[in-house]
Amino acid sequence: MAAVIRHALAEGWLLLRSRGIISPVLALALAIPVSLAGVTVSVRGWLDPVIDLTDQGSMVTVLLHPRLDEASRADWMKKQSDRHPGWKVKRVPPHELAERMSAWFPYLKDLLAREGSEMLPPLVEITTSEPEAVAALAEEISVIAVGPTSPVNRVVGRAARRLSVVLYAVAVILAASAVLLTAVWVHLEVHRNAEEIAIMRLMGATEATVRGPFFVAVALPALIAAVVSVSFTVLAVMWLAGFAEPLGLPVTGAPAAVLAVQVFGAVVLPVATAFVTLGRYATSDDRE
Amino acid sequence: MIKIRGLSKTYERRSVLNGLDLTVESGEMVFLTGPSGVGKTTLLRMLYAAEKPTTGEIWVAGSRVDTMSRAELPELRRKIGVIFQDFKLLRRKTVLENITFVLRFHGVPPREAHGRAYKVLKRLGLHHRQSALPESLSGGEQQRVAIARALSYQPRLILADEPTGNLDADLAAELLSLLCDINYQGATVVVATHDHALLESLPARTVVLHRGGVDYDGAWPP
Repeated sequence: MAAVIRHALAEGWLLLRSRGIISPVLALALAIPVSLAGVTVSVRGWLDPVIDLTDQGSMVTVLLHPRLDEASRADWMKKQSDRHPGWKVKRVPPHELAERMSAWFPYLKDLLAREGSEMLPPLVEITTSEPEAVAALAEEISVIAVGPTSPVNRVVGRAARRLSVVLYAVAVILAASAVLLTAVWVHLEVHRNAEEIAIMRLMGATEATVRGPFFVAVALPALIAAVVSVSFTVLAVMWLAGFAEPLGLPVTGAPAAVLAVQVFGAVVLPVATAFVTLGRYATSDDRE
Repeated sequence: MIKIRGLSKTYERRSVLNGLDLTVESGEMVFLTGPSGVGKTTLLRMLYAAEKPTTGEIWVAGSRVDTMSRAELPELRRKIGVIFQDFKLLRRKTVLENITFVLRFHGVPPREAHGRAYKVLKRLGLHHRQSALPESLSGGEQQRVAIARALSYQPRLILADEPTGNLDADLAAELLSLLCDINYQGATVVVATHDHALLESLPARTVVLHRGGVDYDGAWPP
């Protein structure tokens, strides 16, 4: 075993040296998709609170009948809360009434400014994830009108969720491209050294002896790719945070788990791909 | 050392060997000869499992070669030193590295591999070219590097395919003397050649192949 490892290290290093500039270029080519996948997953994490908006409610204003007395109003509000446990039913405080009504009915703004809000009917705010169900309350006798329902939170949440799926898909495509790149790379190396491999076999080289140098020649650039990927991801996420912070997104640095997966992916993925590729192309039974 | 029974090899309806039987005892030196295309190289290739026979059995050093699995091939090939007609040298390695490379994956420690390779190169008069790449060597020198490589790991069986094809008379005689030395030390040597001068220079067992079988088996000249 020691002889196989010694041979793999010596010949793997020679393979790398013989490729000259190609080795670092390949390491970089591997680092690019792994880095971008890391950045993508890190940035996706910032979207979580926005995605949560999907489940948060829109606020709907309900104008109750002015003839409802205080007790009936309280009754009505309790009935709605009991019937819809997910609803948050709140009475608009009197000092905010004018402002709310002006927002709802802009043509009343001047009148309200002149007359004050004493003459206004009671207003209730319902926070819910089902604004359509609140709209249905307009049919009740106790309700004069139901305010506009804005699904903006839901739209933003859904958009963020879709963007998140797209980002995950991009990360998967990037990882797949890293695998493809390694497979092509190992395949070319095997092809380039086909004659050498055939001679080694005729001289009694075992499979481990034949494959060892290729593993070393793939693993070393893969290690470089891992270091480059982690460094790039940390810096890129810091840079992007500068743009995301003013938008109110809860920016964080690249998560440690993402960096760990990057190291694992940059090293294990190419070596595993090399294993499969060598298994497929470098284990020919050379007997005719 | 070698036992062959009913060996046949056919390439796309062209029969090269046809029911060949041959036995070579351990420590023997045997010349395989016959006209071009008679199957000398094919027979040697089947002995080191580079080709599979169409039918028949091949036994080398107690192991059946024709049914051997891929995983078993390295062990067999480590017992055999092959001197190829086309040398099969590694183009990107120097003369010395061509030998140490093989010794290394045979498990010989680097320093010992270096010493052993130098010794065998010196014996073949090539030590002064140890740093040269194969492409800068003459055909004869490349042939000697291939021989040095085959001898370096002290195999029990040497198979040589036209080993004197690229050597002048003096070097051919030198090579023959080397093969005799190795044979004297206990290795079995099988040489495929159509060089009659080589056959006549050494009174060894000679097997003449003809029409897919053994036409003559005995001392040379008949």
